[in-house]
Amino acid sequence: MIDLTLSKSQQAARDYAHQVALEEMRPISLECDRSEKIPESFFWNMQRRFWAGAAGQARTQAQEESEKQENVLSILSQEEMAWGDAALSTAIPGPGLAAPPILSQGTPEQQMRFLGPYMDGQLHWGALALTEPGIGSDVAGMSTTAVLDGDEWVINGHKHYITNGARADLVVTFATIDKSLGREGIRPFVVPKETPGLIVGRIEEKMGLRASQTAELIFENCRIPKDNLLSGRESSKKAGFKAAMGTLDATRPMVGALAVGIARAAYETTSEWVCEELPKGFPLQKRREIEDELEEFRQKIEMARFLVWRAAWMADRRIPNSKEASMSKAYAGELVMKMTAAAVRITATGESSERKHFINKWFRDAKVFDIFEGTAQIQRLVIARRLFPEIDIP
Amino acid sequence: MLNFAPTEEQEEIRNLAHSIAIEQLRPQGRSAEKRGDISLELLHTLVQTGLTTPFPESLGGSGTIEALTYTLIAEELGFGDGGLAMNVTGSLMGPVAVLLTGDENQQGHYIMPFSDEQEGYMRFGSFAFAEHTGGYSLADVNATARVEGERVIVNGTKRDVIHGGRSRPRVVLLRLEGTTGLGGLCLLAIPAQAEGMHIRSDTHKLGLSAAPSVSFTFVNAAIAATNLLGKPGDGGVIQAATLYAILRGAVACGMARAAFEYARDYAKGRIAFGRPIASYQGIAFIAAEMAMKLDAARLLVWRAATSWDRGVDDETLVREAEAAQHQAIEIAKSATIDAVQILGGAGFLQDHPVEMWMRDAAAME
Repeated sequence: MIDLTLSKSQQAARDYAHQVALEEMRPISLECDRSEKIPESFFWNMQRRFWAGAAGQARTQAQEESEKQENVLSILSQEEMAWGDAALSTAIPGPGLAAPPILSQGTPEQQMRFLGPYMDGQLHWGALALTEPGIGSDVAGMSTTAVLDGDEWVINGHKHYITNGARADLVVTFATIDKSLGREGIRPFVVPKETPGLIVGRIEEKMGLRASQTAELIFENCRIPKDNLLSGRESSKKAGFKAAMGTLDATRPMVGALAVGIARAAYETTSEWVCEELPKGFPLQKRREIEDELEEFRQKIEMARFLVWRAAWMADRRIPNSKEASMSKAYAGELVMKMTAAAVRITATGESSERKHFINKWFRDAKVFDIFEGTAQIQRLVIARRLFPEIDIP
Repeated sequence: MLNFAPTEEQEEIRNLAHSIAIEQLRPQGRSAEKRGDISLELLHTLVQTGLTTPFPESLGGSGTIEALTYTLIAEELGFGDGGLAMNVTGSLMGPVAVLLTGDENQQGHYIMPFSDEQEGYMRFGSFAFAEHTGGYSLADVNATARVEGERVIVNGTKRDVIHGGRSRPRVVLLRLEGTTGLGGLCLLAIPAQAEGMHIRSDTHKLGLSAAPSVSFTFVNAAIAATNLLGKPGDGGVIQAATLYAILRGAVACGMARAAFEYARDYAKGRIAFGRPIASYQGIAFIAAEMAMKLDAARLLVWRAATSWDRGVDDETLVREAEAAQHQAIEIAKSATIDAVQILGGAGFLQDHPVEMWMRDAAAME
């Protein structure tokens, strides 16, 4: 039965995340963006709220409902977090982007070994290292190598654009075991923080998401135990590449949800600005045009959200969702850029104000949503390849 | 609780509508456009399946209309042919509006004839919504009704009234004179002739030619007050108007899907520079864009339909239904234009249906 309303537990998870965004994120958002620093207290508050607090309860309650819904609950929460501050939301303690490959490709023993420590009540992060200088979506050209030497894998290479890379306790690192195999030679490895030869390079200075830590990692003869290779579920040739791609099917809707959250924040704040800060003497006709434009954005934000919800719902039901995940990400990524650009234009008149500062920040934050986890063009390529399965689209 | 899957029963009804769309609407689309109307044969098929009689069994129908189920049907009909789908939907809205607002006598009088085994399939209803001064939005309804004793005095215009020249019931959406907001809207079933009322057939239409339409002009037209359906501001009036918006949105989704699939299949077979044109990103990305925007709009239509079925408050229902209709028509327009583009020169010819669909989609405004 088609239903686009949330259940009580879904609504509870969303409300809880909204409260956190309102109380913990918005108040420090602008300052963290300017300083590119996040206060320690934020991490502890998040740790407390998300691993001990009502979110845990909501999660338990949700699990009691018959169907699996971890992806849906996650994206509901992500939208609210990004409404608060997308950069801060990436810095919430936890395994983060390292979790999906460990969960999908790790053995039960590996899942316990790698994810268990995150439950100890302390501050821990995880990271995912996929991108290399010159290697983005075309993972087949990956140059980071892993060579088996006795009981250890030896990893060498250079990764960048790694969220939380410098503070992560473990980094799920993709490397090739045989370059001649192309993308089928790629495998995911878990590299612990203290491994000798794992070097943190520069922390990037960015246009947006400035409070989010984006690091460069260099692997110089990094030796990790043999059983840090994640290949528990499948031993076929494609396992490594599939892990990389499977991760994207789960994370693209999340990125879409973040984009929806920023778009909504910009929509709401612009609407408030029109009501409260529109300069005196502003022509009525122009005001109507702005209101019409905002109504159009409101509708598109809802469509983007439904695309995100659908992709996550499919993921929970284990229905293949590559196409739908890409649609949600592509649609939301484009929308957030247009929405924030319109917000900057609409609020250009009048005096400087806090609302404008937020809008300016969101405009800078928005652009990357059309880029990371696959650019707008890559998403369209993924969609097109699913629409034309029998045609080779190079 | 979020769910994106129709029920099994809905799937069955959708499959039925889909097969009729493929076997009858699609092949008849072009001839219906030339003729300017639906064929009796198709009307007969539709009545036999029960798809065009969503009334209670007590009124001879196949079961009371549900917005979501009918949304799925309307999309399939639109997928078959947009003009024929609007022909059917426009007709259906007449008796459905009576069902939602009329009293028992009115329901019996107007709806029962549609269920007549011999002649029911040749009956048409109509629902006049848009005016010369506006679109399919309740905020644009300016034609007025003034109750004077046993008569209702009507002033204003209505445009693109599908079947409006021959329909019974001929339902007109009006605003009680001097009112604003949703509470002042009312429905009136008007006769074929009345002093001060002029009906003019639309000719040389841009699109939707398979759905014959007229425009009304009322200048102090006096109609018997017994023709008022329900009370002004009744929930039923809003239900009827929003249902029309939702179904128009669903038909538009079907039109967009037809254009998308037709262009997709063409792009697989058409070779240029030694490769199917679908293998070029310049074409493939257009297809990806069409599919993405169509899915987004369809979800908005589904949401409005589920809200209609759940019975949300009028303000919310109107906002959701009109947003869904607007976004669906937007994608119908852009997808049909893109389809013509993908077919290139062939798309400009009447050998293919996409040029007709492009005109049909534009005529949905």
